[in-house]
Amino acid sequence: MLVCKDLEYKVGNFHLKDFSLALEKGDYCALLGPSGSGKTVLLELIAGLRTLKKGSVSIDGMDCTHMPPQHRPVGILFQDYALFPHMSVFDNIAWPLVIRGRKKQEIKEAVVDFATDLDIERHLARMPESLSGGEKQRVALARTLVIHPKVLLLDEPLSALDAPLRDQSALLLKKVSLTGITILHVTHDPAEVRILANRRVTITL
Amino acid sequence: MQFKHKYTTIRLVFLFLSGIMLMFIVAPLLGLFFSTSLPGLFETMKDPQVKGSIGLTLGVSALFTVLAGFFALPLAYIMARKEFRGKAFVQGLIDIPIVLPHSAAGIAVLGLIARDSALGRLAEALGLNLVGSPFAIGVAMAFVSVPFLINAARDGFQAVPERLEQAARSLGASPFRVFRQISLPLARPSVITGLVLMFARGMSEFGAVVIVAYHPMTTPVLIFDRFNSYGLEYARPVAVLFVIICIAVFMVLRLLGRKKNKV
Repeated sequence: MLVCKDLEYKVGNFHLKDFSLALEKGDYCALLGPSGSGKTVLLELIAGLRTLKKGSVSIDGMDCTHMPPQHRPVGILFQDYALFPHMSVFDNIAWPLVIRGRKKQEIKEAVVDFATDLDIERHLARMPESLSGGEKQRVALARTLVIHPKVLLLDEPLSALDAPLRDQSALLLKKVSLTGITILHVTHDPAEVRILANRRVTITL
Repeated sequence: MQFKHKYTTIRLVFLFLSGIMLMFIVAPLLGLFFSTSLPGLFETMKDPQVKGSIGLTLGVSALFTVLAGFFALPLAYIMARKEFRGKAFVQGLIDIPIVLPHSAAGIAVLGLIARDSALGRLAEALGLNLVGSPFAIGVAMAFVSVPFLINAARDGFQAVPERLEQAARSLGASPFRVFRQISLPLARPSVITGLVLMFARGMSEFGAVVIVAYHPMTTPVLIFDRFNSYGLEYARPVAVLFVIICIAVFMVLRLLGRKKNKV
């Protein structure tokens, strides 16, 4: 499903070299490593937000190495959620469908479906700034899942949440993983992914 | 107690100095208003030459602000987002019109549009004379005022977290759509401020405009012309009227910008 082969990337003092990874469909892989080890950079390379110096990325047998990020079948959930502050929750979730030219009714149904699944349907009219951390995360997750990515990249999705909320979110991620999506979950805390991940990869400095 | 005393003294000194500064701004304007009679002002409002010059000034400044925006906003975005060799030099180029004496800016613009220049020859081949035209006025206005738009918009784009643009790309948006639907709306307050500043700076320009086009007269040139030819009494009502219009336009644009930002 997701195959990264001999990835090489250099920026400033950071140098990622010969990194390879192969995940099967439905795998939940924890990418572990200390802060500054380049975990987030690796996600950005897979998502196409940074350009590789060497190596290749393929998803579902399709070479994505030189594909711009908007064409990759990848969804990424950023650590700070990156919700668009000038759009309501509804518009945030609908936006990926709007830019794909979907019909209004279809968009509305999809947004409501995902919002119901993630228990945020009562927040659809609110603006992101008024949401709690957990609610923001669910909105960001809904916005990512609405495009049905084949690979979901999670950048420290639980680190900004309080303990009770973290368990709730972990459960939610488990639920998402059961849909058959391939997940790469970046974290510096091995305990966080103990019950979630079936694969573990450690990245070192 | 000692601290409180010191704090009070500092506050008084600051208030006094701030008051002097505000008086420095307000006093000449108040003097201008109080020394102008209302009948004289109404008479000036009916003057076709004054009406024509105000229309010309506002119209040309607005048109060239919008035109400049098409070129200035992409440049501002590049300056905000990209790192490249020679960026400091390019920023220096952008700021040059701010530090140039405006008469020198007028001479520079004249060199660009004069009959012996490439642009002037091209216009002449089409039967046009750029010098002394509204086009020349617009180019002079834009030349001296466009740095205000570029710099304000650049600051606005810089304040938009790059993460939002990356999120938008990963959700399937092309770079242009990201610019149009994410970066530009989020930078809108700064872009509007820049447009207002450019428009206001352009319509009040005298030094550069008077060199490229004495006629048709923009209002600043008309004020100078009346002062030079007939004296202060004839120039003052035009100046008052123009100041009122400038303040009104400035306030309306600011209010519109604020309303849009609240949406």
